[in-house]
Amino acid sequence: VSKSYDEIRKKTMNGDVVVMTAQEFKEYVKANGVKKAAKDVDIVTTGTFGAMCSSGAYFNFGHSDPPIKMQKVWMDGIPAYAGLAAVDAYLGATELDDTNNMMHGGAHVIEDLVRGKAVRLKATAYGTDCYPKKEIDTYVSLKTVNQAVLLNVRNCYQNYAVATNSGSRTLYTYMGKLLPEYGNATYSSAGELSPLLNDPYYRSIGIGTRIFLGGAQGFVIWEGTQFNPGVPRTPAGVPKRAAGSIAVIGDLKQMSSEFLRGLTFTRYGTSLGLGIGIPIPILDEEMARACAITDDQIVTAMFDYSQPARSRTVLKEITYAELRSGEIELKGKHIPTSSLSSLYKARQISQILKSQIQKGEFMMERPVQSLPMDRVFKALDVRTEKEAM
Amino acid sequence: LKTKVVLNFSPEAANTPITHNLIAKHHLLVNILRAEIDEIGGKMVLELSGKADDIRKGIDYLKSNGVGVRPIKEGVRRDEDICTHCGMCVSICPTKALAFDSKTGKVTFTEEKCVACGVCIDACPPRAMEILI
Repeated sequence: VSKSYDEIRKKTMNGDVVVMTAQEFKEYVKANGVKKAAKDVDIVTTGTFGAMCSSGAYFNFGHSDPPIKMQKVWMDGIPAYAGLAAVDAYLGATELDDTNNMMHGGAHVIEDLVRGKAVRLKATAYGTDCYPKKEIDTYVSLKTVNQAVLLNVRNCYQNYAVATNSGSRTLYTYMGKLLPEYGNATYSSAGELSPLLNDPYYRSIGIGTRIFLGGAQGFVIWEGTQFNPGVPRTPAGVPKRAAGSIAVIGDLKQMSSEFLRGLTFTRYGTSLGLGIGIPIPILDEEMARACAITDDQIVTAMFDYSQPARSRTVLKEITYAELRSGEIELKGKHIPTSSLSSLYKARQISQILKSQIQKGEFMMERPVQSLPMDRVFKALDVRTEKEAM
Repeated sequence: LKTKVVLNFSPEAANTPITHNLIAKHHLLVNILRAEIDEIGGKMVLELSGKADDIRKGIDYLKSNGVGVRPIKEGVRRDEDICTHCGMCVSICPTKALAFDSKTGKVTFTEEKCVACGVCIDACPPRAMEILI
């Protein structure tokens, strides 16, 4: 079988498109085989909800009277980047105030806005002939600003590491609290529900793909930073390490705190808990086979985070089925596992996306450009000007 | 019968051998799950086992000595609206009071198993866990 984007879109408009969540589709394939599943099903909905640090939002606050060309901007005390036109600023999820208070960073301010709260906006400026005002202290909310747009440069990682700690003290990391002497292990991918693991070679997820983003609809706008498709893969083509990622955009004003949360990782910093869902068109059997993948076929690697180096050695390769069992084995020791991404919310997102497509509220798009397969992941070394050229 | 209680006491009460008296005078088995004492007083989490009557008398004895006694249920609380069910807490919880339910995909919190050790408090990314003692 072979279906085109146009056929699937037409079926969506007619209301007879067949949509299954990734979970349902995997069971359907198990019972009926790939061939029949490819024929019967048009779209599979995936989902993930996890900490996505490379996130933030830009705003246009509107002009004051007299006008100000904001040079420094704080939103509820958190600095926002204002090196743009007069009243535009970008607030990053991991930004902290000058006391490094990790209970309330940029991500928390974004969540407060989404919850409908007003946020204190302070700005200073040097003053120009056209923008004479030198400071402003006021309140803004999603109702008062012109634009509030979530713009994230790296989200939705295709696979990720498992973290553990061989050292003698508890480590506080972006992978959570790691107890000493291999006391626990944490992982952060939604595994078989994760969008990019169901489309390992980015056949349908590309620039222009419409996605579920934080409860609203958004788009993939580019490859994510550190996009690295060349990592080792399983025979089925599924990356065994952190590989692809996506840059995304969406209207913050339409988002919901159910799928957008400020997170605190003790002694590490803040991050944005974000829900993303992506529909995958079952264009042919190859797509169906890719979407049939289950946790026991998805492999990742465990690393010792007490090793303070750029490239840590792989302790062990493990599957998501093992991780999900709650306990993994390493050197004869049983290590309890924790997920950092919410399976509950991932399922919820794939379910919501399914019903939105069925109701014709969400239209799957054909990407306008594919993600690049030739990207490599380069390191930062201390080098001379000449060496950098 | 077994029960877990949270004790709060003043520095003066800290000088009374209350656990000894619970054991010797009230015939209870006492398991100290957590104990902290500083200049403003102390906190203790105890598991008491014995006859229902002895436990009741033991708790009365504590109260008559100025010790605040609360059931463990009031030790740690989860804010259900804030929890995202990620599961970070599951692998660090020493008593498996926090556990993953693969059917619902949710993290369950069984208060009876909680010993109010507090290890989950700063591990929770959305900060859904609160320690009350």
